[in-house]
Amino acid sequence: MVFRNRRAIPWPGRTVPKGMQKLQLPVGRIPDEALLAGLATGDPELAVTFVRRFQHTVLGVALAVTRDPQLAEDIAQQTFERAWRHAQVYDSRRGSVTTWLTTIAHNLAIDAVRSRRPEPVAPEDLDALLGAVTDTPEDRALADEASAALRAAVAQLPGEQARALVMAGIYGMTAQQIADREHIPLGTAKTRIRTAMGKLRTTLTSPNPAPPHPTHSEATNPADSHPAPPKRGGHE
Amino acid sequence: MNEAAMNKDLTCEQLHEIGAELALGVLSGRERAEAAVHLDRCAECREYIEQLALVGDGLLSLLPGSEPPAGFESRVARRLTQVQAARDGRENARGAALRPTRVRRGVRLRVASAAAVIALGFGFGGWAVGTAIENLAAGPAPPVQTAAGMLRANLTAGGTDHRQPVGEIYAHSGPRGWVFMSVDLADAGIRYSGKVICTLERTDGTTVRLGTFSLRGGYAYWGAPTSVNPSTLSGARLTATDGHVLATAHFTGR
Repeated sequence: MVFRNRRAIPWPGRTVPKGMQKLQLPVGRIPDEALLAGLATGDPELAVTFVRRFQHTVLGVALAVTRDPQLAEDIAQQTFERAWRHAQVYDSRRGSVTTWLTTIAHNLAIDAVRSRRPEPVAPEDLDALLGAVTDTPEDRALADEASAALRAAVAQLPGEQARALVMAGIYGMTAQQIADREHIPLGTAKTRIRTAMGKLRTTLTSPNPAPPHPTHSEATNPADSHPAPPKRGGHE
Repeated sequence: MNEAAMNKDLTCEQLHEIGAELALGVLSGRERAEAAVHLDRCAECREYIEQLALVGDGLLSLLPGSEPPAGFESRVARRLTQVQAARDGRENARGAALRPTRVRRGVRLRVASAAAVIALGFGFGGWAVGTAIENLAAGPAPPVQTAAGMLRANLTAGGTDHRQPVGEIYAHSGPRGWVFMSVDLADAGIRYSGKVICTLERTDGTTVRLGTFSLRGGYAYWGAPTSVNPSTLSGARLTATDGHVLATAHFTGR
């Protein structure tokens, strides 16, 4: 039974196999993992629901990396096809369906850009993307706490570290490519990536994350070049 | 690529130096393989990389979404169901007799180390590094899995006199094992691009086809889940689709 316009109407429900259980839910309310598993049935309604649920996110990632709407659309389609083909290997212990799809889209987009352009990112695109990942418009204000903390931490990174982070983490550029692009030594590029990631890791792992203090240059704060991870039991 | 470099065993400090790049998937295949060897034996570094991988995943989650073009969802959904129909057709053609095997294989894949499959088998690079490494060690795999040995061998170019090293191959033993390799044939002056067939060789002379992947300019890293018996696995062979042997590996020192 489902409700439409406050009236109950008969609805046979849909059975989605998931392990030894069977779910009886309207397709729009099926959990992400079950929806993914249900794709294998070839049910068109499940396929539409699956795509509808994740298309906004998948397209966003593809467009951010490629900056080409047509290419992004192709990549999004490939992402859904690939997810569908390999749904059986999805492991919820390792992350959400959204994260899994995001990762697939990200890697497909990076590969597509690498095969098409010698220069992965134009300066103005990099600045725009940096702005996009650090701004906090109304519709993102309700994001979970970890995302908000991470966004704030990225916003407080020194500019050169934030650029290195975005070039490596979103555009998939190697440290050497970043060094060439920024006209800096390879070691400096590696340090910027490592330092930025270290700060974000501290933000995510700290029980009471304090806002990271902005620094303006790796040269002015040498300690930033070697962030101390939390104590690791004398491991090193 | 010399022998000493290929056998390099990273320290924890060195692993931390490259950890961020590893987690973001921007290290070379060789560096990844070196890191994997270290991570296979160092739980604390695995945890460290796992945390960095979460940062990488979190970074992607900050990207703004994008409104799909009109008709996108129905086009994609139609495509998915077409692919499904095509696959169903192929399976029907194979006959019902094969189905139990296919089901068992599916179940095996499901319970196998999914991260290894995702990360190593299908080219999901970033997830690969981040979460594959996480999986190398983590998860509920029984201790025997992580304690089981990992075989390693150099890949050497086929058809050359010098047996030039062109990469490395790792085989993680056990029924839920996997094989991973990084290949750079350009080191031997071979810039082959195209499909490659990976075949595992056993000590009794039999072979098993592990799968196919693509080389671009002689370079690729790839892997797949497979049951690995260290007492019978003797080597591996990479061949082009025309049968030409591109590289071979021989596991020794078990």
